[in-house]
Amino acid sequence: MPALGTAARHAPSLNGTPTVKPRLFDGYAAHPAAWDELFDRTSVPHAHCHALVERLGQFHLPEFQTKRASADLAFVNQGITFSVYSDRRGVEKIFPFDLIPRTIPAGEWATLETGLVQRVKALNLFLHDVYHDQRILREGVVPADLVLGSKGFRKEMIGFTPPGGVYVHICGTDLIRDADGQLLVLEDNGRTPSGVSYVLENRAVMKKVFPHLFADIRVKRVEDYPHRLREALASVAPEGAGTPPCVVVLSPGQYNSAYFEHSFLARHMGVELVFGQDLFVHGDVVYLKTTRGPQRVDVIYRRLDDDFLDPEAFRRDSLLGVPGLFRAYRAGNVTLANAVGTGVADDKAVYPYTEDMVRFYLSEEPILKNVPTYICARPDDAAHAIDHLEELVVKAVNESGGYGMLMGPSSTAAQRAEFAEKIRDNPRNYIAQPVVTLSTCPTWTDEGVAPRHVDLRPYIITGRSTWVLPGGLTRTALTKGSLVVNSSQGGGSKDTWVLENGKH
Amino acid sequence: MISRVAEHCFWLARYLERAENTARVLEVNHTLLLDFHVPVEQQWRPLLIISGVHDYEGEPAAETVQEFMTWDRDNPFSIASSLSWARENARIIREVISGEMWERMNFYHLWMQGGDSRAVYDSHRGEFYAQVRRINQLLHGIADATMSHGEAWEFFKLGTYLERASQTARIMDVKYHTLLPKVEDVGSPVDNAHWIAILMSCSGYEPFHKKPRQLPHDPASAVAEFLIFDEQFPRSIRRCLWECESATASAAGNPVVRGPSEPERLVTELIAFLDARKMPDVIREGLHETLTHVVDSVHQIGEAVHATFFAADIGTPAVQVPPEVPSPVASGMSQSQSQS
Repeated sequence: MPALGTAARHAPSLNGTPTVKPRLFDGYAAHPAAWDELFDRTSVPHAHCHALVERLGQFHLPEFQTKRASADLAFVNQGITFSVYSDRRGVEKIFPFDLIPRTIPAGEWATLETGLVQRVKALNLFLHDVYHDQRILREGVVPADLVLGSKGFRKEMIGFTPPGGVYVHICGTDLIRDADGQLLVLEDNGRTPSGVSYVLENRAVMKKVFPHLFADIRVKRVEDYPHRLREALASVAPEGAGTPPCVVVLSPGQYNSAYFEHSFLARHMGVELVFGQDLFVHGDVVYLKTTRGPQRVDVIYRRLDDDFLDPEAFRRDSLLGVPGLFRAYRAGNVTLANAVGTGVADDKAVYPYTEDMVRFYLSEEPILKNVPTYICARPDDAAHAIDHLEELVVKAVNESGGYGMLMGPSSTAAQRAEFAEKIRDNPRNYIAQPVVTLSTCPTWTDEGVAPRHVDLRPYIITGRSTWVLPGGLTRTALTKGSLVVNSSQGGGSKDTWVLENGKH
Repeated sequence: MISRVAEHCFWLARYLERAENTARVLEVNHTLLLDFHVPVEQQWRPLLIISGVHDYEGEPAAETVQEFMTWDRDNPFSIASSLSWARENARIIREVISGEMWERMNFYHLWMQGGDSRAVYDSHRGEFYAQVRRINQLLHGIADATMSHGEAWEFFKLGTYLERASQTARIMDVKYHTLLPKVEDVGSPVDNAHWIAILMSCSGYEPFHKKPRQLPHDPASAVAEFLIFDEQFPRSIRRCLWECESATASAAGNPVVRGPSEPERLVTELIAFLDARKMPDVIREGLHETLTHVVDSVHQIGEAVHATFFAADIGTPAVQVPPEVPSPVASGMSQSQSQS
């Protein structure tokens, strides 16, 4: 017996002509060159996306608009916003969120997960080596001057092993998918990667807006992240720590653009959120100033760059840090996550050697490949880069957030001349890569649903063991044709669905 | 708990309470003037004085003063400023207050920033003030029902009642600044109307009348007595101080171990000051003088709370404290808290 609504749905309208109401994916034209995350080149959904495209595709455009408005409102009401402090009234904007999820099939995720664990393991071994025996430098696998001359290299860390031997507790590895559908590593963020709060908030909003989708399609949970992070941090507490260890999140303060995330993580881990002024060091032990006197701190998840951590050890003018913190760290009385000095593995000029690190330390073939990279510190590479600027992306090695970058194909002759000059002046500071046509995902735009380029940042947590958050942050460019997805450059984000095996 | 977090909790409550009281005073004055003809100079200027504004240069007219006390972000005592600071304090400690508190606080912040609040203000002034009062009332309800009643809660309560004690004293003192005491005015309709207005601005009209008492020959002093000494009314100065006393005691931990803290000692002292007096004593010594003593003592208690619980050098005798970043707890009343 048909459901009650069925007859009405198929009834012709009264005047005989059926009313045409466009549905979400009607007329979607995939990008001519890029790989599409949901559809193949003939606009048929990939096998693992059938269920999603079918369910989501039932929405008429006005219904979808209503859903969008309610999602945006949820972000505004929860104050999940960026502040623009130039205006005294405190204009706040939301990080644009697109309701069409990006999907990853179960099998591909399994490989990716293994590859990420392998990579982070190699990075941790590399950091330990660099600050101890420097075997990889002596054997000439990675050029010593590149490493020792890196801005991220901290000589203060030489000979010191952080509690548990872990350097990169939280890693955010940026991946892109090329036109053939292969995932490549663009960079490893091993200092203080941000954005994970958006992964969790995006999911929460999606569940609110599309509860039925989650009932029909099995998607791997992301909500365990704070709990896993707390466990991992506690597992590498220093000797003599309390039971349970006292873990805190250290933020630069309420005016930091990622303050929402710092507060989010503290709230969800159930730990205190502190500023530098809340901590002090006495007898090489870190204490928290509380209304009932000092309380010992064992593990600090710091969202503050090395430079600002401790005015006694690093930048003297830092008001954000804690005087004596590095002393307490070297004395083995506190764990810092991530460790001091991880920037050397995060350096864009060191990145091209990550695959070699995997082979060197683990005697395994790297599962994940890098984007081919020209290292301008090598004269031949620099010459090639300068000759082919129009086809390449040039990046300053210590910049992030899409700053200090040249996009060859869309650049002007003047910009190219400027970068050629910069490379000649300071070759060590630049790398160049071929332009990868990032994969696209259907995204809501002013002209309806259209392909927009995306990347993916999975988060890898390492304590006594390593765990990968299923999926990660999918960032999306919102301008047609743009390959720059950074939020600081006007990008948005999407929920990332890692599908459970066999249930889609 | 972290001293800085306690401080934000304390100021979140104070700013919310302050916004509510400012709305109460504006609303009552607005209503009162519909019935009585008071010289222009005495209509709105007293409100500025009790709010601690001494450098107002605009017209002391109804619309300009209301605009200044409601919307002017350059006026640190305006409703808009108070709510904005309340929200900023909440934002900094959103991992401490409950999610529901934060969402409501943020909702009303957005409401104040958007056009809707202005539209209500323009078309239904009374409803606007009532809505502002409800913000604090609603947030207290949510806090009571969803936030753990631990230390943060005690500081939230302490902020509320300390601010309220001071506000009740200030509201009563408006009388002193409004009408120079003239013998022929005592007991006149205008005089009584003012006392009723004061009662109403403290939501005390009905509780006052429900109180069994002999028919007062002097309604003015009966109202003052009620607002200063009543043991049950939640806005009377005495009642507020009792609440402060219990909050400071709980916040400081076990008093058997530590002995009473300085703020607790000062609150007890102020309570003793009131206990030693009855209404005729207050009148003899001067109502204004008594209220001034209350306001000054509350200010002192605030400073002691700061020094005892929030000061950056707690437990750090050997450490140099760096200069602080700008802090949203900074904007106190002129006679009230001064923060680093």
